[in-house]
Amino acid sequence: RDKFNIHSKAVVCQDVDLKGDITIGAGTIVHPKATIFAIAGPIIIGAGCIIEEAAIIVNRRKEVMRIGDENLFEIGCRVECPSVGNSNTVSTRARVHHTVRLTSHCVIGAGVLLVPTEDEVLAPYTVVYGPAAERRVWSGRGRAQEMDLRRKHAEYLRETLPKFNRLRRGDARAPHGGGEP
Amino acid sequence: MAPNVSYHCPCLSDSTVPPPPHHLSSSSSFHPLHELFFCEECDAIRCNTCVSVEVSGYYCPNCLFEVPSASVRAEKNRRVLPYLCARNCFLCPCCRNTLSVVPSDPPETDDGRTLPVSAVGEPPFFLYCNYCRWDSAEVDITFEKPTGLAGTCTAQLQKFEDSAPDSLEFERLKEHFEPFLLRAGATSSLNPTTSAHSHHHVNPVTAAASSALARDIPGVAKYTPAQSTSGRRSKGARDEMPEYKARVDASSSKGAGLGGEPDVEFMRRLETVSEVASLEQRWSSSWAVSLRLSDIKPLRMPLHSRKSKRCPSCRHILIKPEQKAQSVRYKIKLVAANYIPAITVSMPAVAERRATLNGQATASAAEASLIQAGRSYPFHLALTNPLYDPVQVRLQVQRQLPAGAPRGADDEGTEKARRPPFAVTLPNTAFPIAAFAEAWEYEDDEDMLDDDEFGPERGAREKDARKNKTVGVLERRANVTIVGGEVLIGKDARGELKFNMLVSYTYRSDDPLAEDDVKATPSRRNVPEMKTFSFCTIVSLGTIVPREESRSVNVDL
Repeated sequence: RDKFNIHSKAVVCQDVDLKGDITIGAGTIVHPKATIFAIAGPIIIGAGCIIEEAAIIVNRRKEVMRIGDENLFEIGCRVECPSVGNSNTVSTRARVHHTVRLTSHCVIGAGVLLVPTEDEVLAPYTVVYGPAAERRVWSGRGRAQEMDLRRKHAEYLRETLPKFNRLRRGDARAPHGGGEP
Repeated sequence: MAPNVSYHCPCLSDSTVPPPPHHLSSSSSFHPLHELFFCEECDAIRCNTCVSVEVSGYYCPNCLFEVPSASVRAEKNRRVLPYLCARNCFLCPCCRNTLSVVPSDPPETDDGRTLPVSAVGEPPFFLYCNYCRWDSAEVDITFEKPTGLAGTCTAQLQKFEDSAPDSLEFERLKEHFEPFLLRAGATSSLNPTTSAHSHHHVNPVTAAASSALARDIPGVAKYTPAQSTSGRRSKGARDEMPEYKARVDASSSKGAGLGGEPDVEFMRRLETVSEVASLEQRWSSSWAVSLRLSDIKPLRMPLHSRKSKRCPSCRHILIKPEQKAQSVRYKIKLVAANYIPAITVSMPAVAERRATLNGQATASAAEASLIQAGRSYPFHLALTNPLYDPVQVRLQVQRQLPAGAPRGADDEGTEKARRPPFAVTLPNTAFPIAAFAEAWEYEDDEDMLDDDEFGPERGAREKDARKNKTVGVLERRANVTIVGGEVLIGKDARGELKFNMLVSYTYRSDDPLAEDDVKATPSRRNVPEMKTFSFCTIVSLGTIVPREESRSVNVDL
């Protein structure tokens, strides 16, 4: 049942908890102690994403969970959205329910609990912040710098993480990837 | 609630009996140890309620820049805004987080790809909130330089601040009162400036002169003695003031946010509720601001104050922070934890709550984790000695008796307290606690006590019956002594299990005091004077649950 399709340029550490049918795109970085559970359906993660420690990405539905490119899932967040677009940021310890679909350039603030009762799609550039999950629309100013910063972040991690963590390579049959620098 | 111990601060009251613990009103006089101070001169505990507080300086919580109190109060200099950070610290009007100065994005090329971002960044710079992504370009505030926002280079911020209605109004008020202040200072007799309509002390000579000056002469600008442009002129009495007319009449409701027509129009055309600024975003400004969320400007960060605390009776400084805002240490720090033994209480029979919260505990374990009526529970008191001298401690349970009745010092637990009924047994003899020292200096426990042993039988009892008894000294480790007590709960007891405990400790002091206190054994007169200090505490062990309900009750002590 476990089928991992990890791109050769992706950096996935050994300590990651993977389960189910998971595809990870080029340049994506998964920190140690992250959790990706494709319990009921597959998860496809795009290119350039950064998934930090203690992040939990869970797919409990049968449909494919698609995550786009250049997203940042910060420490301790929990994402169950059926689809996530590009360039989103889910901040530390945020929790997003499976009724929400993120489009692009959305920002879920730190600690936010976003659990609407009915299905909804967050418009691009929506920012959810505060303990009461208030929303506002970002004007988009500064997005080029933020994307540039994210790319630099990912590049730095790609160089540094393998020096200090064992990497998981290939599929489920070879769990002990080498610790190549 | 986990079992805890709170200390009583008498707060300068004369009565020695503390209020009974089960009264709700007495919780204000009992504090945890970390909130208390100790005055060395008065030899008394002080708490935050009785201590006198004064401000020793202000600092900005963001840039940690200190502002001494003098320049905070300076109002002559318009550029120094009191109680607000004068540097680049701003609060986001949306979410009250700190704003940071960021450059704009580089311009996009024709094919949609952006140029590489330079390290310095490109102007215009603006304020940006990283949390809610608000930026000041939405209210049209941009800067050409990323630094020195508070200086004169950025005309824009100063401009919009100076044009704010409250500062304009303040300027007019100052202009209005200035001539009168000067005149009052010159004549050296301050006249009351309240009533503007009284026509006292009309000096005919000056009245004639003023009216002559005020006469209309075509072609010559009218001379008005430094009054505001819409002020009504007085009859020339020099100690009378014209009535001040505000620039924006507060009752006219024409301005934004005052509830007048513009606001009603805005409300009628509202599309979503989120367009309206919330009360929290508006009420901190001294003037009525517009109701629109898109109009709210970034606010300067308010300063926090650093306080120093003094003993109320002898004015000795108890807490004095350091001058630098960055350091967390204190110049003077007389906290109670450095003088009074710290007491922690635990009940070993009551299992940890996490076992039941996980839902894995069996029914019997769930029962055992609550304090049930009709049983007796042992509890442990751990006392930590902060002094560099060993101390002798004596514990007494105080009954909730009226003030006139004598306190029984040797009660052994047959008496029942008022409400709820329980009986507490504590060791009633004095026991020593070793001095505080570095970890490597501690020797075997028994050796350290040779100097201060008061009771000859105590050592023997401790060695023999250490394993069997629950009441008495249980363990002695470094500068901590654990004593055990027992509480016997009546069958129909309910409510909180709290009791007053009087702790008296005796230590060798360096002060040449002549007092001869009761606790010191008369046989040790060759030792320097012993001082005794006593304080009351409340030991709170938890809530009593009736026995038959324990299976179905939800664990939430």
